[in-house]
Amino acid sequence: MDAFTITLWIVRITFVILLYLFFAALLRVLWRDLRSTVATSGRSLGRLVVVASPEGRPPAGSSIPLDAITSLGRDVNNSITVEDSFVSADHAVLTFRGRAWYLEDRGSTNGTYVNGQRVAGVVPLGYGDEVQLGQVRLRLERVPA
Amino acid sequence: MMAALYRAGIRPRLRYQETILLALMGVALFAGWASLASQQAGRMTIGDPAIPGIYVGILFAIHLAFVLTGRRMDQVLLPVTGMLGSLSLLLMARLPQGLAGLSVGSLELGLAPLQLLWLSLALAVLAVLAVAVRNDNWLREYKYTWAAVGIGLLLLVFVLSPDTSGPRLSLQIGPIAGQPSELLKVILVVFLAGYLAENRTLLARTSTRLGPISLPPVPYLLPMVAMWGVALAIVIIQRDLGAALLFFTVFLTLLYVATRRFAYVVLGMAMFLGGAVILYQLFPLVRVRVDVWLDPWSDPLDTGFQIIHALYAFGRGGILGTGLGAGLPAVGGTPGDLPAIHTDFVYAALGEELGMLGALAIVALYAVIAERGLRIAARAADDFRALLATGLTLVIVIQAALIIGGNLKLVPLTGITLPFISYGGSSLLANAIVVGLMLALSDRGVEPPPPPSSARRFHLPFRSPA
Repeated sequence: MDAFTITLWIVRITFVILLYLFFAALLRVLWRDLRSTVATSGRSLGRLVVVASPEGRPPAGSSIPLDAITSLGRDVNNSITVEDSFVSADHAVLTFRGRAWYLEDRGSTNGTYVNGQRVAGVVPLGYGDEVQLGQVRLRLERVPA
Repeated sequence: MMAALYRAGIRPRLRYQETILLALMGVALFAGWASLASQQAGRMTIGDPAIPGIYVGILFAIHLAFVLTGRRMDQVLLPVTGMLGSLSLLLMARLPQGLAGLSVGSLELGLAPLQLLWLSLALAVLAVLAVAVRNDNWLREYKYTWAAVGIGLLLLVFVLSPDTSGPRLSLQIGPIAGQPSELLKVILVVFLAGYLAENRTLLARTSTRLGPISLPPVPYLLPMVAMWGVALAIVIIQRDLGAALLFFTVFLTLLYVATRRFAYVVLGMAMFLGGAVILYQLFPLVRVRVDVWLDPWSDPLDTGFQIIHALYAFGRGGILGTGLGAGLPAVGGTPGDLPAIHTDFVYAALGEELGMLGALAIVALYAVIAERGLRIAARAADDFRALLATGLTLVIVIQAALIIGGNLKLVPLTGITLPFISYGGSSLLANAIVVGLMLALSDRGVEPPPPPSSARRFHLPFRSPA
């Protein structure tokens, strides 16, 4: 074996090694990212952003972090108290089951609307959907990581 | 310049991980370039540094643009795309330069310089999309317009392209030639994301029962049937099996992601099998592809030629490979030896010269794209963005899987490109649009999604609650 063949072999193998070094560096970034995601997840499942609230409680523009079970209504014992003349005391419940959100109307007088449609019983709710109780409109959003 | 940026409200932000990854990529490209040049020259040399130099320069320029505009985008996608492009440049420099050519005045461009030109254009498109796209309304609101544009493209191919026996892929309007199905896949994903984000709760509902499987209401099955029809039409009109397979797979996967209903997958597979049997009976092109896949040695000199030589190439490569530039002439030595080596068989060519280690590294790079894309989807602010990111990821990853599988005789060979590695402007540009949009979606400072339009209706007057 002459010197050229050996040098060329070394360069060749160096290229493959560099390819894998690049991949190792990628994996390191991915692993760190994954760890930071795991550390911050479980903080909140989602949030409600108040789109419109004519009577000001909750104030429009505010965002409310959600628990797995969140009750909405005029009664002060609800998770989120909605002070609106057209909202019932025990109006609706938002639940997170499995991996999805569901909304249930609790027999309210004026009904609960999702994207403009009146809902009956339990309906699935997607991120970006808009919920209306009385004159209050709320948007379900994912909490940015 | 910094002062001007500050006045415009732009705060530069370092992208440390991207810097390191790009630097590593650059070093690897130059090492590969030296290996190839020395092999070809028969003595140790680093070769002509113009092509890798320009390429690495462009990538760092884009990196600088991302830093200066202060974007909080994904830092992995650009280096991974860059690495796939590097492998492409190494392979194109190694193949006979006459496989593609363009002469501008007295300037003659061979395969490698042309690919560099396409890569530069593609990276520019990627960078512009990543930086400029700050909201998604133009994609979200006009989904049916996009669908119409897509179908229009398909019809245009049918009307304008010459009737040949092979695949009708290219579309020539004046001096511009391109493959519309590459662009079509991006449009398809945009449309599907918009459609599914709007209708996913309806599609996930069950009402019709068909024996043991329960199905959604019949009207909502129509889009699925339509999509199946479009895929069949692509096979019949364009004779493009690869695009049809890619579109239908992406569609089914996205439908499953949106609804989490396995019944769709079962139904889709059944429709696919039905369609495949019909096409096998009716179209000789399909029959040839399947027969050759099952037994390439039945016709080793004609239809089985490509697959047999691809398999030999992987065999010769072994674990470490023959080294760049040292593969046998049968794979890419003289033009015409293995048709479509620079488009359809790049994986076999790289598998021979970089060996199993190199071939596995390529698969790993696509796996990283998949991880990043799905992570962007998981972090997306709403359903449309999540589905869009998923679909864009699928388009790249499924396409890579189909052609790598075809090269390895795992699935019937279809003439689609290996994203970012195969030669060709249409493919590079379309995939650059995909990655550019993925980067834009990954930006954490992007505008929040708009509220659903139907929610603007008020429901008044109300009765006072009891």
